[in-house]
Amino acid sequence: MPLDTSTYNLALLRIDGRRWNELRQLRGQIRTQAAADGSSYLEMGNTKIMCVVTGPSEEGKRRNQGASSASAAGSGSSTSASATNAADILVSVVVGGFSTVDRKKRARSDKRIQELQATLAKSLAAVLHTHLFPRSTISLSLHILSQDGSLLACMINAATLALVDAGVPMTDYLVACSAGSTSSHSAADERADPLIDLNNQEEQELPFLTVGTLGASDKVVVLVCESRVQVSRLEGMMVAAADGCVNIRAYLDSVVREKGHRMVAEGAVEKGASMAMDIDV
Amino acid sequence: MPREAEPSLNERAFVVQALQEGLRVDGRAFDQYRQLELKFGEQYGVADVTLGKTRILVKVSAEVTTPYTDRPFDGIFTITTELSPMASPAFEVNRPTETEVLLSRLLEKTVRRSNALDTESLCLVAGQKCWSIRVDLHVLSHDGNLIDVSCFAVVAALRHFRKPDTSIEGGHLTVYTPAEREPVPLSWLHSPFCVTFSFYGEGEITILDANLLEEQLRVSSCTISLNRHGEICQIAKLGGTPVEAATLLQCASVALNKVKEFSTLLDQKLAEDAKRRNKGGLLAELSAENER
Repeated sequence: MPLDTSTYNLALLRIDGRRWNELRQLRGQIRTQAAADGSSYLEMGNTKIMCVVTGPSEEGKRRNQGASSASAAGSGSSTSASATNAADILVSVVVGGFSTVDRKKRARSDKRIQELQATLAKSLAAVLHTHLFPRSTISLSLHILSQDGSLLACMINAATLALVDAGVPMTDYLVACSAGSTSSHSAADERADPLIDLNNQEEQELPFLTVGTLGASDKVVVLVCESRVQVSRLEGMMVAAADGCVNIRAYLDSVVREKGHRMVAEGAVEKGASMAMDIDV
Repeated sequence: MPREAEPSLNERAFVVQALQEGLRVDGRAFDQYRQLELKFGEQYGVADVTLGKTRILVKVSAEVTTPYTDRPFDGIFTITTELSPMASPAFEVNRPTETEVLLSRLLEKTVRRSNALDTESLCLVAGQKCWSIRVDLHVLSHDGNLIDVSCFAVVAALRHFRKPDTSIEGGHLTVYTPAEREPVPLSWLHSPFCVTFSFYGEGEITILDANLLEEQLRVSSCTISLNRHGEICQIAKLGGTPVEAATLLQCASVALNKVKEFSTLLDQKLAEDAKRRNKGGLLAELSAENER
């Protein structure tokens, strides 16, 4: 269903009333599942994802068939943990049948899902200090409850939150944001504006990419683009996305700190000297 | 599950150290490809591509089928990849490895989703008859950089392919044999090519066309697909060590130059092949003269 994006130029407002550099409403929670080692729930607009982390735990009997794995050294091919003395990361993605408008049954072996799993596993392997947990497994399970664009970005952010909750040491937050460009690939106008955090309607119509950065730096861990776009637009889109990542990182950090703050206030954890975080009660 | 033999610690240290000193084990420059060779088969739509020791065979075939009910005006276009145990002991039959899944997704995004082939032109009778174009890719030998070679081979084979000519008269579809009517090429819109970059160290060393050993040791990789008009069809940096954004932008411009080279090479090879097949047109074909 084509979407009329020509109205953007009139008021510089997007279809949902945002400006080009505005994120949708972010809403995040951590420690949502009491039984899990780490868990999170993240909403970016109407994209809603729940993530549960188990581990680091001793390696199970059999590797999960549907999941993709990567270890710290894993690059081209996924290497097993036993050989590298680092924790394996298993990611499994479950797409709820109710997550989109048309109810579609997606097989677990869908190549797109497998690619998402592999992307998540490899990018998390780059930021987690997996060498601290030799011969163990960190398994993540992501449940997509609702899809409305920026799916990969939301998955990465939810996974980061859950891993923070699980207490797995990491270099910095891995945050991701999507960015698009107004006007389609065929129009070679130079005045195309970048847009960030696209929703589903915009994704259908505009070229877009997803950038995952290490915290607020401009080091890119993930860069995925699946649509046709002029190479000259790339820079603008990447800069806009990196800008979005900085804002998302600030939000995720506030979620973590708020939770920590509340846990100290409730007496769930003692405010010890060992805590590196500065939590003022 | 069988795995690829991992390089020994000595090899690891040697290759990485050499790269840091600006040298590659096989003596190439960092941005230099191995010798890329393309051979077309006797039949239309067969391409055999070798890049160093990596070799890939692609065969394109077409048949008339009924279109999908949700897309009555589109033909069917599928790309299937097969990584057989012949290429590497790590590949098993009927059990796609991650390499294979990622490769086929990449080809799908590069060639299919970027609309390189106009699928609407494959429609014969709306909702009833259409061409189904099938691309079979076989990896005969694996020495790294499967993605770039596969993409080149698929594009080459599709551009070389000719489908039988057809006509419709009064709702009656006729498919002509090559003897009756000259087969026609596919309606091809643009030629995308993949260029894969491998990163080493902390992401500051970038090389092109890594061989198998280099591929096993890289810390991260990024595949950029472009056509020669400078349109990005796909970018995939799926995790791995963080790389500066500026480096990636630089990669994109390097990739554009490489893609232009690929494009020229392919055009030249296609022209050569067309010349070889053209034996002087209809006159030469109809001549009753014999060689004595």
